Amino acid sequence: MDQPKVVLSLMFFTMAFGFHLATALFYIAHWVFKKKWIGQASTALACVSLFSTSMILVFRAAESGHAPFSNLYESMVLFIWALTLAYLIMEYKYKLRVMGAFVMSIAFISILSAWLLPFRFKSIEQLNPALQNKWDFMVSALTPLGLEKYALGWLDFHVFTTFIGYAAFAIAFGLSIMYLIKVRFEERGRSNVLIDRFPEAKILDEICYQAIAWGFPFLGIGIVSGAVWANEAWGTWWSWDPKETWSLITWLIYAAYLHARVTRGWRGTKSAWLSILGFLAIIFLYWGVSFILPGLHAYA
Amino acid sequence: MADKGNSSNPSKKKSMKNFWLWRVASSVKFTVFILLSVALLSIVGTVVEQNRPLETYVMSYGEEWAEFIMTYGLNDMYHATWFTFMLVLLITNIIACTIDRFPSKWKSLLRAKKDFDPSVFERLTRSEEIQIDKNADSAALGVRAILKKKRFKVRESEEGGKNGFYAERGIIGRFGSDFVHLSLLVIILGAILGSFLGYKDYIAILVDGEVEIPNTEIGLRLDNFWIDRYESGQIKQYNSELVVLDKGEEVYKKHIWVNEPMVYKGIRFYQSSWGISWNRIAEAEVTLVKNKVPVGDPVLVDWLDKNEFAGTPFGIKLVGYVSDFAFDMESRTVYSKSGDVENPATMLEVYRNGEVVSTPWTLLHHHGIMATIPGEEGYEVYLTGIRNINYSGISINKDPGTNIVWIGCLIMGLGCYLSFFVYHRRMWIEVAPFNSGVKVKVCGMINKNQMKFDKEFAELLSSIKNIA
Ligand code: HEM
Repeated sequence: MDQPKVVLSLMFFTMAFGFHLATALFYIAHWVFKKKWIGQASTALACVSLFSTSMILVFRAAESGHAPFSNLYESMVLFIWALTLAYLIMEYKYKLRVMGAFVMSIAFISILSAWLLPFRFKSIEQLNPALQNKWDFMVSALTPLGLEKYALGWLDFHVFTTFIGYAAFAIAFGLSIMYLIKVRFEERGRSNVLIDRFPEAKILDEICYQAIAWGFPFLGIGIVSGAVWANEAWGTWWSWDPKETWSLITWLIYAAYLHARVTRGWRGTKSAWLSILGFLAIIFLYWGVSFILPGLHAYA
Repeated sequence: MADKGNSSNPSKKKSMKNFWLWRVASSVKFTVFILLSVALLSIVGTVVEQNRPLETYVMSYGEEWAEFIMTYGLNDMYHATWFTFMLVLLITNIIACTIDRFPSKWKSLLRAKKDFDPSVFERLTRSEEIQIDKNADSAALGVRAILKKKRFKVRESEEGGKNGFYAERGIIGRFGSDFVHLSLLVIILGAILGSFLGYKDYIAILVDGEVEIPNTEIGLRLDNFWIDRYESGQIKQYNSELVVLDKGEEVYKKHIWVNEPMVYKGIRFYQSSWGISWNRIAEAEVTLVKNKVPVGDPVLVDWLDKNEFAGTPFGIKLVGYVSDFAFDMESRTVYSKSGDVENPATMLEVYRNGEVVSTPWTLLHHHGIMATIPGEEGYEVYLTGIRNINYSGISINKDPGTNIVWIGCLIMGLGCYLSFFVYHRRMWIEVAPFNSGVKVKVCGMINKNQMKFDKEFAELLSSIKNIA
């Protein structure tokens, strides 16, 4: 393994850690002080954070020689990357920076927990036999160019789509918390400087739905691509492995969210609680299952 | 969103729809309840290990709980009757829901195309009036052109006359949820078909060995098995070279590894494990000794093959092997205590001048336990080395339901795309003469994503204002 490169990904991790901390603090400061320049600085910091996590991924890939999604640490970086990217897109679309105080705090907590991971979850690992999957068409397209080691496969696709789903659900989680706070204030007709800066509850509910409308199909694609891959590697597309089952459980909770939302009287508070429940299930799916339940999955 | 809850008109003819059981079975509240229950119950099977022998449960949970686990099928819970029952409830709910809502949804969406109801202008919140200096006909044409450019389908409607019309876009999005629901039925169908028409099996096959594949006419031969490693020594890949035999003829050949199965006539062969044979070796190294001192060089002997100790009257033949030697006193037979290479032993036929004089078991790690050559004081044969044979564990699987499941997944993808990203927008527009020009009344609605619609609506209004 090339020594200097390992240093680079670690360097970018430290950088990303610092920038994520700054980003979260700036978004919170912007929420509290409502100064325009703080808001602009927060967005700029979020972009720099995104850049540094991208660099971690690039250098991890270069160091390990495979897509950087093969252990808990790498996948956390992927999660933070997807979360920041998705958040920036949303901020651009809806022009609402208050969300950043919540969403980018989730991103910071994530990078903090990746940093606190014991070393054995961070080290670069070579792929075990079950993880070595490449698409034939890509291998044959890249072989003439001598680039076949960069061919992708179901592992990459499966992890990537699942994590886009997770990122969308994390955003929905932040929005649901904001919704529940806001709706309490709206219902009681109370006023508070900080809470008044939230968008209307109705809008929070709508954006939260939009986030889940992305997360739900992506988690679905993640589950299905996992099934396709399992069919190739293990011979069955579904084996009720704990990780599989938990991903189904989360997916069902979000299906319940979607249906609660089309049920008269359940839209709003009840569905917001389901979105929170769904994200707690994801945290368990992601961390709990890896540490507590036995199974076939390497990590995520 | 239209048509939820009590939109199905309670006509007296359809009395079934008023029956409480039907109302429950077709309600979305019930759906939420089932979805959450299935989610919650599924957790049990991830905590209690599945498909273990009874002893495991007794050991981890105690006798009483073990009995509970066995009684309610928690040891194989995803196949337990009550779990299947929950899935049946879900399917019933989907079907009931569709029967309940789909026809009226279909009708209301189709009828809406014909109706031009002027009262919509009062009812809808997104409603606007614009004055432009144009005559009615050219203004109407301009508005139509704008709508067409925005990919709306403009409908003539008798009620509205030629200057009042209805336009819509993305109606197919309304049917996204139906595609998703249909896809679930297709996936479940595929799973059921697979479990009835397919089978799963496992075979261990020695290198150079041949086996019949259960439930088929064909045979399988393993030409080679090997393990690739990284420089660090960590295992990189398991490989087998398989040959399919049909009446002894080679018909298909493939190098498989984990993630690269062989498919032959719908049957799939997966690399699933490997090991060292417990009842066969490739080669043994045997040393002739006299009074515990080697006589000449050790000789190598292949499986079921013979060799001579040069310069002596003795020869040997390798006829048996166990990887973990044990002797059953009652039946006076030798067997292998385990599948591991713990205490390997070979059975040799010892020849003197071409005649069998004894057939001793010789142990690799314990020399000289049996009197190996009777009548020849001091002469013994020692087993001094073995070369193992690997076997490759191949999972065999036939699942004709798999493709149906994939089709179901594609339908689900389509359905999700339609539900979440194709919005149904409807516009009602009326152009009426007003003072010297015309007044254009515009109103519209969308089935979801109001924010996006507000933006579109504003854009539409500004382009109507700018009709030149
Ligand atoms: C695992 C099971 C199910 C899944 C994954 C599922 C999925 C979906 C999805 C993705 C939507 C679209 C949601 C949206 O547009 O926001 C939807 C809508 C809907 N589902 Fe389901 N569904 C399931 C079970 C059911 C069942 C059992 C019923 C029966 C009552 C049902 C009734 C409905 C209704 C009434 C709608 C709204 C239709 C509309 O607005 O056009 N769903 N479902």
